[in-house]
Amino acid sequence: MNEFSNHIYRKFNEDLENLRTMVMEMGGAVENQVSSAIEAIVSGDSALGLSVASNDYKINAMEVAIDEECNRILATMSPAAADLRLLITVIKTITDLERIGDEAERIGRLASQLAAEERPAGSYRELRSLGEHVQEMLHDSLDAFSRLDPVDAVSVVEEDKLVDEEYDAINHECISYMMEDTRNIRRFMDVSWVARSLERIGDHATNISEYVIYMVKGKDIRHTHTDELRDRVLGE
Amino acid sequence: MPNTWSVTNSRMAIVLAVGAFIGWLYDSIAGGLFVAAMAILAWHMYHLYRLEHWLRTNDIEDFPTGLGIWPDIFARVSFYRRRSRRRGKRLRAVLKEFRLSASAFPDAGIILDSDNELVYFNRAARELLGLKKRVDRGQRLENLIRVPQFLDYLRTEDFDDPVEFALPPTGDIWVSCRIIPYGPDQRLLFLQDITRSKQLEIMRRDFLANASHELRTPLTVITGYLDALIEEESIDDLLRMPLKEMQTQSSRMRTLLEDLLHLSALESSEVSSRDEKVDVSVLIAAAKQSAKALPHCPETLEVHMDSNAAILGVHSELQSVVSNLLINAVNHTDPGGRIDVYWVTDEAGGRLSVVDTGVGISADDVPRLTERFYRVDAGRSRDQGGTGLGLAIVKHALKRHEAELVIDSEPDKGSTFSCVFPASRIG
Repeated sequence: MNEFSNHIYRKFNEDLENLRTMVMEMGGAVENQVSSAIEAIVSGDSALGLSVASNDYKINAMEVAIDEECNRILATMSPAAADLRLLITVIKTITDLERIGDEAERIGRLASQLAAEERPAGSYRELRSLGEHVQEMLHDSLDAFSRLDPVDAVSVVEEDKLVDEEYDAINHECISYMMEDTRNIRRFMDVSWVARSLERIGDHATNISEYVIYMVKGKDIRHTHTDELRDRVLGE
Repeated sequence: MPNTWSVTNSRMAIVLAVGAFIGWLYDSIAGGLFVAAMAILAWHMYHLYRLEHWLRTNDIEDFPTGLGIWPDIFARVSFYRRRSRRRGKRLRAVLKEFRLSASAFPDAGIILDSDNELVYFNRAARELLGLKKRVDRGQRLENLIRVPQFLDYLRTEDFDDPVEFALPPTGDIWVSCRIIPYGPDQRLLFLQDITRSKQLEIMRRDFLANASHELRTPLTVITGYLDALIEEESIDDLLRMPLKEMQTQSSRMRTLLEDLLHLSALESSEVSSRDEKVDVSVLIAAAKQSAKALPHCPETLEVHMDSNAAILGVHSELQSVVSNLLINAVNHTDPGGRIDVYWVTDEAGGRLSVVDTGVGISADDVPRLTERFYRVDAGRSRDQGGTGLGLAIVKHALKRHEAELVIDSEPDKGSTFSCVFPASRIG
């Protein structure tokens, strides 16, 4: 390889590495939004909830910037094989991250509404537990992305089943509260919406993990039953 | 080794001569020379083979022997091998010692290269941040610690003060992070678990806020009744005096509680946003108006605006900074003195100063001025209705704007209180 192509190659690698860091930075900002939104719900802090809602534009701006960078790399470097898979994964991942940001924004708004209402005895303990679960999933899926680690990614996909169960439990509870006293309906509709948003965040984290598996292994495991997932991905 | 070389060379010459002689006997000197040369070559090849074979083994003590120049070469190579092995051992021991002490270190320590890639991290870093021993070496730190406050800190390249943030995913653990640049382009990063002190701080703050809040309700009731009683005409004149006093004191108590609540609100978040452009002339005009309303305000109160630049921050907080400083100046200056307010900006930032010709402060008191309830002359300031929280509020509000309060004072000459804003807050 002569010096010129060597230089191009190094620049290309650096661009890809910077792109990855941009995605991770966006991931960090999204994580921060999600944890602030959950904090706002649990502590009944309406100002915090509104600030989460008004900060969503930053996430959107990051998505646009990363998208442009991807287009630039695709157009000027025409990457192939693993590099191309990385770019495709980045493009898909930022869409899911942006949607997680939107869900956080919605939770923030609901938090400011709920803060005005009377708080139940458990201070939304179930939402906190579901929230922690989902935060861990998001964190692990981003870690799997940065480490290119399919094992972590698989465990995130498996985790999603538990989150779905928790979501169902919260919904059942909300319904029984609403039947108990119709004056509760408004409040528990909001709680149910928050749970729904959290569950969606878990789904998006699962998507990100699936992209990581695609990037590392080149296998598309979407719509695979969780029972055979581990074998398909890790059993060579 | 000229001696060994001459012996080797003369031996070679003898072998060649014998070859030539035998060749001459058989009528072919060239053939004889050729055979002799081949023999010498074979002999050297044999020794080379032994040298290479020995270099492959780990047994450096037992080196091969030979003839001519070869024993010398063997001995020398053996010596170098022994020396490098000894040095390697010593180096490994030092390194092991270093790693052991680094892993015994209770704080997380990480060494970064110029691209912020992880070069080394200790055990506490693995436990605190969930780093993986082999996998994460060479990984960029930004990919693993993705907290926005931390990334901002890393980007500013200003590592004088540590940064504090909560670790994801759940944010239950708080850390304080310090970066120390060293060498040509390397960095040492320390993370300390400060969860406990953070919790205590939050508890203290919440207690203060809750207590002030709870005290306000009964106080409102008391002031309400007092106001009604004073209006009442049937009240005995003898009681009017104490009732008046009770009213003043209870309104003092209310300002005190409001200041406490204000202070705890200021303390509860780290940095205020830069979204709002606050016009400094508006701030000063409002503060001047309330200062002029005070009975003992000096005749001369002048404003000098050297700049039209605005401050990026929160209007209400900056307003309380300017008002508090100006009211302090009025309270400590005789009606005959003068007060000047300056607003100056340059590329380094902005400076808002309040200069008075009042009583001044002795050098011993200056460092303690911003403590809560600290009073230089207890009797005097309480008579003037101060709560003892004004400068604490100023300090916290400025801290949230990344600004600093600089106090310059001389007893009986006057004082200068300056708010120094960084360039990033001027817009």
